[in-house]
Amino acid sequence: MNSEKHLHPVAMLIGAIKTVRRWVSALVFPGIAFLVSQGFSVWTITLFVLGIVFVAALAGLWGFLSWRATTYVVTGDAFRLRQGVFQKRERTIPLEHVQSVDTVQRVIQRVFGVVEVRIETAGGGASEPDASLSALSREAAETLRRRIEGSSREATGPTVLRRLSVRELLVAGATSGQIGVALSLVAVGSQFVDNFFSEEFIRRLVETFAPNWLMVVLIVVPAGALLAWLLAIAGTILAYAGFTLSREGDFLYIKRGLIERREATIPLSRIQAVRISEGVLRQPFGLASLRVESAGYGEDSGVSTTLFPLLPRDEAQNLLAAAAPEFALDPTLNPLPRRALRRYVVRSIIPALFFAAAAALVSYLIFGAALGLVALLLILPAAVYGWLRYRAAGWVFEEDRLVVRNRSLGRKTTIAPRRRLQSRVVVRSPFQRRLRLATFLARVASGSGGSSLRVIDIEAEAVGTLAENLGPGVRLEGA
Amino acid sequence: MKDEPAERLDPRAKVLWRITGLLKLLPLLVGAGLAGWALVRFGGVSFLVGVMPALAVVALGGVVVGMAPGLRWRRWRYEIRPEEVDLQRGIFWVSRTLVPLARIQHVDTRQGPLQRRFGLSTVVFHTAAGPNQIPELSTPVAAEVRDRIAELAKDQDEL
Repeated sequence: MNSEKHLHPVAMLIGAIKTVRRWVSALVFPGIAFLVSQGFSVWTITLFVLGIVFVAALAGLWGFLSWRATTYVVTGDAFRLRQGVFQKRERTIPLEHVQSVDTVQRVIQRVFGVVEVRIETAGGGASEPDASLSALSREAAETLRRRIEGSSREATGPTVLRRLSVRELLVAGATSGQIGVALSLVAVGSQFVDNFFSEEFIRRLVETFAPNWLMVVLIVVPAGALLAWLLAIAGTILAYAGFTLSREGDFLYIKRGLIERREATIPLSRIQAVRISEGVLRQPFGLASLRVESAGYGEDSGVSTTLFPLLPRDEAQNLLAAAAPEFALDPTLNPLPRRALRRYVVRSIIPALFFAAAAALVSYLIFGAALGLVALLLILPAAVYGWLRYRAAGWVFEEDRLVVRNRSLGRKTTIAPRRRLQSRVVVRSPFQRRLRLATFLARVASGSGGSSLRVIDIEAEAVGTLAENLGPGVRLEGA
Repeated sequence: MKDEPAERLDPRAKVLWRITGLLKLLPLLVGAGLAGWALVRFGGVSFLVGVMPALAVVALGGVVVGMAPGLRWRRWRYEIRPEEVDLQRGIFWVSRTLVPLARIQHVDTRQGPLQRRFGLSTVVFHTAAGPNQIPELSTPVAAEVRDRIAELAKDQDEL
């Protein structure tokens, strides 16, 4: 394909819609003002409709012109994109700079069975892809991807490693722990309802239900929680329906999405660390999700990408062995020393103490009684949480890979090869020094900043050797 | 772990840190003074109470300007080893950072307006996971350190 190619003709429509959208956002207020000021006579409405037709025609023409002006080609070792109706722009991206070729299918593209192709380069902006082709046929997109990602690969097609079943999808939604986000959505929604109904209505509602407020609370709170939970499930279904992880050569492909289909590429060479996270609701059922930290891969809003949203913990190693063998390792971890337990417990009790003190003060000022001291009851669960964190924590350096586990609500195990560690930090506070403990931190590149593997309160002696061993001076055979 | 890194920052760093600490506290002092004055004038509290906020800021200043720079300077050490950059810093939480030269992408030196008065510079070296810095070296030393890091980083072949 050394000749210049046009996009799929649907690109005209997409371009036109984009133009209309831009115009509408600029014209909607003047338009409404015009309508209101002139009154709704037949004449003004005709004029208005004519205006709309005119805008649509212009947008269509513009869409056609920009479609005609847009061509792309892969020549030699560069991708070239020409754009622009009046002002011609030509962008050349050397193939070796291409980070990933992703495809997205929004609703309109799905209707016409085409895909949007996004080409990202290393060091490109996080939000804007470096080159975006709004509509290509499936075959054209596949050919382009092959050309860009290395012509040496034979066209066997990627092997599917794992698919998310419908049952797993539902379980993933039900245990996603996104309930907090969903709850806040419900709260915002209820505020909207507040504004929507008149004060009079609300007052009457309150008067009717005031005698039975306990009943109301008992109904409203679970109902709100249920709604939030359903929203969390719906969100998961939208994002992860049909999640498929496949691999071809040195590339992983992820397909997902119910309405908007997304297809992302992760080059294996870009993966810095893999994180197995067992959420609070998932760990009891032996379930986990897999994430990867990859460098300079910024299209996903977070710093990391979901490699697989839900799978049994025991199968994680098999999947990793097939997908990213460098990260498949499930060793026994070194636990923390006994003397670290006290620090873990104290650390998690302190916020509870502060909270109780603040609550006591506030309740004393308001009610004249330190009712807030009830919050002292929080100390026991806080201590248990501290103990759980202590128990979850562990680390090991084995087969040239660092594995670190810790808990912040959910339990997270992170695996990073030594050659991916950007820096190591050992921090010691006077308290830690007294107990011969230290905090160890290893940074890996991820998204815009970095992400770190951290263990709090390792033995000081162990941390010293660990920091040394992870350095470049030590070379293992075959490493 | 290896011994402490060998090199120290330029001794003038202490003076510079005292000045920057003072400059940072100045607005706080003015605010505390005004608040105290307002309390005495309109709140009807006694002069002794009114002067408290300002005194608190002065006490804080004693720590920030008087004590901290010396302690900080004594702790701050660095060393450019053949394979790694080794940093140690922190008054209370002492941290030791090891950055393999092979991971360093680029190095630069920086100089703020105050630093220029003192003839000091900061060396900043970037890895894929963010920057690290060695502050307050005398400008020629900073240039030397920068060039040395760049030179050594170039020679590393291990990925």
